[in-house]
Amino acid sequence: MKTTTALIRRNIKLFFKDKGLFFTSLITPLILLVLYTTFLGNVYRDSFLLSVPEFMQNEVSDIIDGCVGGQLVSSLLAVSCITVAFCSNMLMVQDKVSGAYNDISVTPVKHTRVAISYYAATFLVTLIINLVALVAGLIYIAAIGWYLTVSDVLFLILDILLAVLFGTALSSLIGFFLSSQGQISAVGSIVSSCYGFICGAYMPISQFSEGLQTVISFLPGTYATSLFRNHAMGGALDALTEKGIPVDAITELRNVVDCNIYFLDTKVSIGAMFAVITLTIAVIMTAYVLINKLKGGKARAK
Amino acid sequence: MNIIEIENLHKSFGEVKAVDGISFTVKEGELFAFLGQNGAGKSTTISIICGRLLKDGGNVSVNGNDIDGDITEIKRDIGVVFQSSVLDKQLNVYENLKSRAALYGIFGDELKSRIDELDKLLSFKPLLKRTVGKLSGGQRRKIDIARALIHKPKILILDEPTTGLDPQTRSSVWNVVRTLQRNERMTVFLTTHYMEEAADADNVVIIDQGRIVAEGTPHELKNRYTGDFITLYGVDEENVKALDCPYRAEKDAFIVTVKNTAFATELIIKHKEIFKDYEITKGDMDDVFLSVTGKELGGDEK
Repeated sequence: MKTTTALIRRNIKLFFKDKGLFFTSLITPLILLVLYTTFLGNVYRDSFLLSVPEFMQNEVSDIIDGCVGGQLVSSLLAVSCITVAFCSNMLMVQDKVSGAYNDISVTPVKHTRVAISYYAATFLVTLIINLVALVAGLIYIAAIGWYLTVSDVLFLILDILLAVLFGTALSSLIGFFLSSQGQISAVGSIVSSCYGFICGAYMPISQFSEGLQTVISFLPGTYATSLFRNHAMGGALDALTEKGIPVDAITELRNVVDCNIYFLDTKVSIGAMFAVITLTIAVIMTAYVLINKLKGGKARAK
Repeated sequence: MNIIEIENLHKSFGEVKAVDGISFTVKEGELFAFLGQNGAGKSTTISIICGRLLKDGGNVSVNGNDIDGDITEIKRDIGVVFQSSVLDKQLNVYENLKSRAALYGIFGDELKSRIDELDKLLSFKPLLKRTVGKLSGGQRRKIDIARALIHKPKILILDEPTTGLDPQTRSSVWNVVRTLQRNERMTVFLTTHYMEEAADADNVVIIDQGRIVAEGTPHELKNRYTGDFITLYGVDEENVKALDCPYRAEKDAFIVTVKNTAFATELIIKHKEIFKDYEITKGDMDDVFLSVTGKELGGDEK
C-alpha cells in the first residue's frame, strides 16, 4: 500500500510541476470564463429574460442572474472534469515516451499497481481542481444571486465525483493505447477543443441540429452535463416558478438550458442520468482492468 | 558460480528473429561485456533478463531463479542503467530517488542510510535538491547509477552507460563501475560502443543478428580473432615487401600484420637488418569485432 501511495504521490507531483500538462488542462475552463465574462453571460441573461413576461423582468432580475451563474458554473465543471482528467492522465503516456515507464517496469511492482496509481492520481488531481473550481463558482453565485439549497450543493459534489470518475476512466482507457508525444498533443488538443462543444458548455445542446442532438444523446457525458445544469440552476428555476412564471415557460427554459435532456424523444429523469453515468463508469473501468490484465499476461512490457 | 544462465534463448518480433538461440553464462562478480551493433539483439536479451519482455523459447535464470517463475525476486536482484536517463526531469534528485526506492519497499531511515552509502561512492549529496532536468549529462548519469543501485542489486545492467558523455565524465562513470565491481563484488553486465571499456571486461560475448558470433576473455578473443601488428619505422617499402606479409603504409611507418607474436619473433630474427626501429602491438577489441562480424561497432559493414 505504501508503494502504491508513493507512486500516486509521484504522479500528482509531476502533474503540478509539469506546467505544460497543468495549463493545457485549464485552457478550456479559462476560455469558458473569458467567454462568459465578455459576452456569453449577457447573451444568456437576455435570452432568459425573454422567457419572462416584461412586467416581471425587474422583479426576477436577481433570479435570472442566479440562472446565468448556475449556467456558467455547470458548464465550467462539466468541461473541466473531463479535460483536467485527460491532461492529467497523459502522464501515463508521457512516462512511456520518457522511458520512466521502463524504469518502473524493471522494479518488483506489479503492472496492475502501476495502472491503479495512474488512475488514482488522475482522479485525485481532477477532483481537487474541480472542488476548488466549485468553491470559486459558489462564491461567484453567492455574489450575483444565490438560489441553491444544501442538497443542490451536495448533489453538485456528487456530480463532480461521478464526472471525474467518468473522465478518469475514459482517459485511462484511451491513454492505454497511446505511446508518443504526438499522440498526447493530438488527444489533448481534440479533447480540450471539442469537449466544450459536445457537452454543451459553449452552446446548449438544445441549440444544435436535431441530428446532432440525437448523436449527442448517445454520449454518456451529456448526462453529466445535464446533472450539473439541474443542480446548479434548479434552485433559480424553482424560484422563478414560485414568482409565478408559467410552468410552460419554465419547461421551455429547462429545455433550452439542457436541464431537460431527451433520448429519442423521451425525457431522461435525473435518476436515469445518474444510472447512465454510473453504468458507463463501471463498463469503462471493467474494460480498463481487463486490458491491463491481458497485457500483464501476454507481454510484460513493450 | 554463474549468476546469469541463458540457454538457447529465442525471441522473434513477427518475422524478425531478434534473438536466435543464444546461450551464455555470467559469473558472479565479473564484468561482463555484451557487444553488438544496434539491432543485434542486445536490448531484447536485456529486456528478457529484466522481465520486461517474454521469451519465445529457451531458459533464463538469474541468481538461481527461473525467469518463468516468480519474476519479483529476479527484479530485486537487478539494477538497470538505461541508455538515456529515465528519471523524472521535473522532480529533484531526492524526490526521484525516494519515489524509485518506494518501488522496492524502501522508505524512511532505510532510504536515508542507503542514500548516505551511495553518496560515499558517487558523491551526489550537493545535487539532492537540484531538479534532474537541470543537471549536466555527467551529473544525471551519476544519479542514474545511484537510482539503479538504490535497492542494493546483485547485478548491475548498464546499457551503453557512457554513450554521448564527454571523455572526462566517461572516465569518471567508468571508474565508478570498476570500483563497484572490484570492491563490492557486484556483477556488472555491460553493453557498450567503446572497445576500450570492453577490453577491461572479464568476459565478452559478441552478438550479431541475434546469434553469438564470439565469446571469451578479451585476451582469448584477441588471440583467436586478430593477429599482432608490427610497426616498422625508417625502412623502405621494398624492405617491407620482402617480409611477405600484409602491410599498410602509415605517415612515417609501415604496419605489418602477422598471425601471432611467435611468428613476429621469427620474422624479426630472420630479418634483423630491417628491424632496427619497431614496435609490436596486439590487435584490439575493435579488430576482434571487425573480424568476427565483418562490421565496425556503430559503423557500417566492411
